[in-house]
Amino acid sequence: MKKSTFYLLFLALLNWTPSFAQLDSMNYLEEVFVSNVKLREFSTGQTLIKIDDSVSKLSRPTLGEALRFNSPIYFKENGLGMVSSPSFRGTTASQTAVLWNGININSQFNGQVNFNIISTAGIDEVTVRGGGGSVVYGTGAIGGTVHLNNRLHFNQGFKNELFLQYGSYNTVDARYKTEASGELWSLSIAGARNSSDNDYEYPDNGENLNGQFFNNTLDVGLAYKIAPKNYLRAFSSFSHAGRHFSLIRPSETPTKYRDINSRNLLEWETGISHFKSTTKLAFLDESFRYYENLSSDKYSFGQAETFIARNDLEYTGFKDVKLASVLSNTHTSGEGSGIDDNSRNIFSAALLLKHHATQRFSYEAGLRKELTNNYESPVLFSAGAKYEFSSFYALKLNASKNFKIPTYNDLYWNPGGNPDLKPETSLQGEIGNSFRWRNFDLDLTAYYIDIKDMIRWLPASGGIWRPQNEDEVRSYGLEGLLGWEKHIGNGFLRLKGIYSYTVSENQKTSKQLIYVPYHKVTGSAGYAYGRWNFDYQLLFNGEVFTRSDNDPKYNLDAYTISNISTSYAFGQEKSYRLGARVRNIFDEAYQNVEDRWMPGVNFNIYLNLNF
Amino acid sequence: MKLSKLFLFGVLGGLFFNSCSSDDDNVDPQPEPEVGVYSEGLFVLNEGAQAAGTVTYISDDMETVENEIYQANNNDDLGMFLQSMFFHEDNAYIISNGSNLITAVDRNTFEVGGKVDSGLKVPYYAAVVGETAYVTNLAEVIDTPNDDYIALVDLKTLEVTGTIEIDGPASKIIAEDEFVYVQNSSYGVGNTITVINSATKDVVKTIQVNDGLTDMEIENDYLYVLGTGSFETIDLTTGQKVSEVVLTDDLQGASNLEVEDGTAYFTLDNAVYAMAVGATTNPVAPMIEYTSNSQWGKMYGFEVEDDKIYIGDAGDFGSNGFIQVYTTSGEFLKQISVGVAPNGFYFND
Repeated sequence: MKKSTFYLLFLALLNWTPSFAQLDSMNYLEEVFVSNVKLREFSTGQTLIKIDDSVSKLSRPTLGEALRFNSPIYFKENGLGMVSSPSFRGTTASQTAVLWNGININSQFNGQVNFNIISTAGIDEVTVRGGGGSVVYGTGAIGGTVHLNNRLHFNQGFKNELFLQYGSYNTVDARYKTEASGELWSLSIAGARNSSDNDYEYPDNGENLNGQFFNNTLDVGLAYKIAPKNYLRAFSSFSHAGRHFSLIRPSETPTKYRDINSRNLLEWETGISHFKSTTKLAFLDESFRYYENLSSDKYSFGQAETFIARNDLEYTGFKDVKLASVLSNTHTSGEGSGIDDNSRNIFSAALLLKHHATQRFSYEAGLRKELTNNYESPVLFSAGAKYEFSSFYALKLNASKNFKIPTYNDLYWNPGGNPDLKPETSLQGEIGNSFRWRNFDLDLTAYYIDIKDMIRWLPASGGIWRPQNEDEVRSYGLEGLLGWEKHIGNGFLRLKGIYSYTVSENQKTSKQLIYVPYHKVTGSAGYAYGRWNFDYQLLFNGEVFTRSDNDPKYNLDAYTISNISTSYAFGQEKSYRLGARVRNIFDEAYQNVEDRWMPGVNFNIYLNLNF
Repeated sequence: MKLSKLFLFGVLGGLFFNSCSSDDDNVDPQPEPEVGVYSEGLFVLNEGAQAAGTVTYISDDMETVENEIYQANNNDDLGMFLQSMFFHEDNAYIISNGSNLITAVDRNTFEVGGKVDSGLKVPYYAAVVGETAYVTNLAEVIDTPNDDYIALVDLKTLEVTGTIEIDGPASKIIAEDEFVYVQNSSYGVGNTITVINSATKDVVKTIQVNDGLTDMEIENDYLYVLGTGSFETIDLTTGQKVSEVVLTDDLQGASNLEVEDGTAYFTLDNAVYAMAVGATTNPVAPMIEYTSNSQWGKMYGFEVEDDKIYIGDAGDFGSNGFIQVYTTSGEFLKQISVGVAPNGFYFND
């Protein structure tokens, strides 16, 4: 295993794409970005990894799968398609914030996102930002943030895209997207369904029983240009996901889970003189049902509705300086099995400053404070700087204080909810080095995160469990991103690699947290030649501890997964594409979670039509 | 089992037993223990957390300790959350509440003989009458306190042959004479004990006890009942309560009752208390206190047998726990590390 780790490292150190580095200089096109402007402008000293549509299409249509192969985030997945929770820079599942068009969509109940119920089908662009981000993005932005953005274009006429994929275990991935736009308006509608019997064979014996799932999504985007610098936009995303939870042994009680989520956002952007104001109104509805026994129709549930009103104001009247404020009010009401109907209101104010001091030097600073009756809210800050020593090398620094607020379960679970909880807070810093040489890019980031007051449920008097601000965790590590691309003959070759080294320790025991691998490597190679495309994906996941005392006897072995795919474009405009993929081509037998086997070699074919 | 084994030996004897016994006796003098390697000791049941539970074997002299003996002897595991274990004739039966399984093994070799793999829904404890195991099942957990039932398992065929509905939670279960006693409480909530006539399989009586029922024991026709705030003694021949100790404030929340040779033992937090059966007041000081940094796995298992006290500590449930053994006079004998969340002790004698 050692040898192959080294080999993979070597391989990873050879590759990366420049796309993440170029975001800084991207122009504001006549595209309608929602949160992207802020993401680009206020990430000084941090590194962004952009995963566009064509890359995420190489993976299964879930956010978890796209990020597993294209980001440093480690995912703990209870078997294929089951609950997938992230550990970003060694942090817990609720310490990675997911933002849909700038709006935080982590569950109100447990603070987490199941990355397997977020479909990538209706998302135009996924951006991963490592490190703290609570000043701009609020709760949970400790390990990092994942940004899901939709784009709308003007003057693009009428376009349609149909994508049909079918593969092993009766897996269907069908997507249709239509876009229509004129000079003043733009409309995009995307519908998708992903379903699978998910009954793959286990390596020894047995098969994945009761693992079937489906995910239906509908995404609509609408933009209207009222006047120059004056836009109205609306986005809606609706998803209905159902998954049975797979069994380890046939005698176990079959269960299933159903999620219905709707997210709606209306925003109005207007610019007057040196001011730009964006006002947003958002309504989020999350609802889940857990059926603990398929033979009965009884279920436990949770449902929460969140209203957000927010204003982003930017002032660019001073030379080379951008000042911004974010005011937002979030009102949530929710209830569930074990949770009485409760509502909470959080008002937050943030101030941001960015200064391009010289051609080579820029820095930013930010402050945020929340007002709520629910918890003692600390003042959060962020500071970042970037200095370009030469066209070859840039140094980046960032430090911030971030938090994760107590969830509905923590505060209101009856019995046991603890209204006196403090938010989990982190102090963290990172140093980044960007190297750029011709068509070669390297980003090396070292980080340190100190997290306090982590919430854990413990037994209290009378057999009741109660959450407490209990744990302290220290994470540090290294992330390396490499990219290289080159025209070779008539073809075009693009290589990427990501390596992450992660230490995440419980400060009381000095033991590595379970399910945080020290090493993770992803790599990809794409070669386009005429009408042909060839792609290769690689994932190396280091061994993980499964026991809190780090007893190596129970470690899950490291594994290496390789996927290949090829496609051929036909039609005069090359707008039709037929392709085939083989996943886990070397049939690696591996578990991501103890006793949860993942599938061996599997196949699929697809057809992609643009018309 | 013994009979069928003898029969097998007879048939196979000509094939290889003769060949090795005649020639190799002197070469390999190690006597093959006829009864198996686990016949002289105790089993510690380790509930398990993330992965299947395990069983640890500890010899009577506590010199030999073997962890994960089921996995070692079978290419298999026992399922999630091992709740309890019982013996019948030559077999031991291990109940997994997370996998709805009862695994039957040879009690001396721990080789699997068969499984009960249908008809169970979150099985907890069992008591045996004749060839039938009465297995309590919690069934569904959500909003359904009254769907608990007893599955009647034919130990010859390992099939569930019938069920008895229990009005209320069904957890611990004890067979005494022709009656079966079912503790109707879960996590210290409940105050009745259901009595079933094993001949008719009917519920014949419900014994009312104090609130906060946590454990019960039957010894010599007396039913001993521990609640979070009291200790009651009931004469089963008359059905009358004969004594009761209301626990003082500092002992509220007691659990884990064992009655052995006229002494009742129970635990609270990290301490063991002992009192004579029939005493009118509770003990003021613990007889054993042990050091534990476990936040909710102290005294996760507790047993008193043959003048020894066994306690199990589950630590953080995320790694292997340990057991400690004391004499009944409170003298510490030994600490042994076992599997994840040791919750019970079963003596193979």
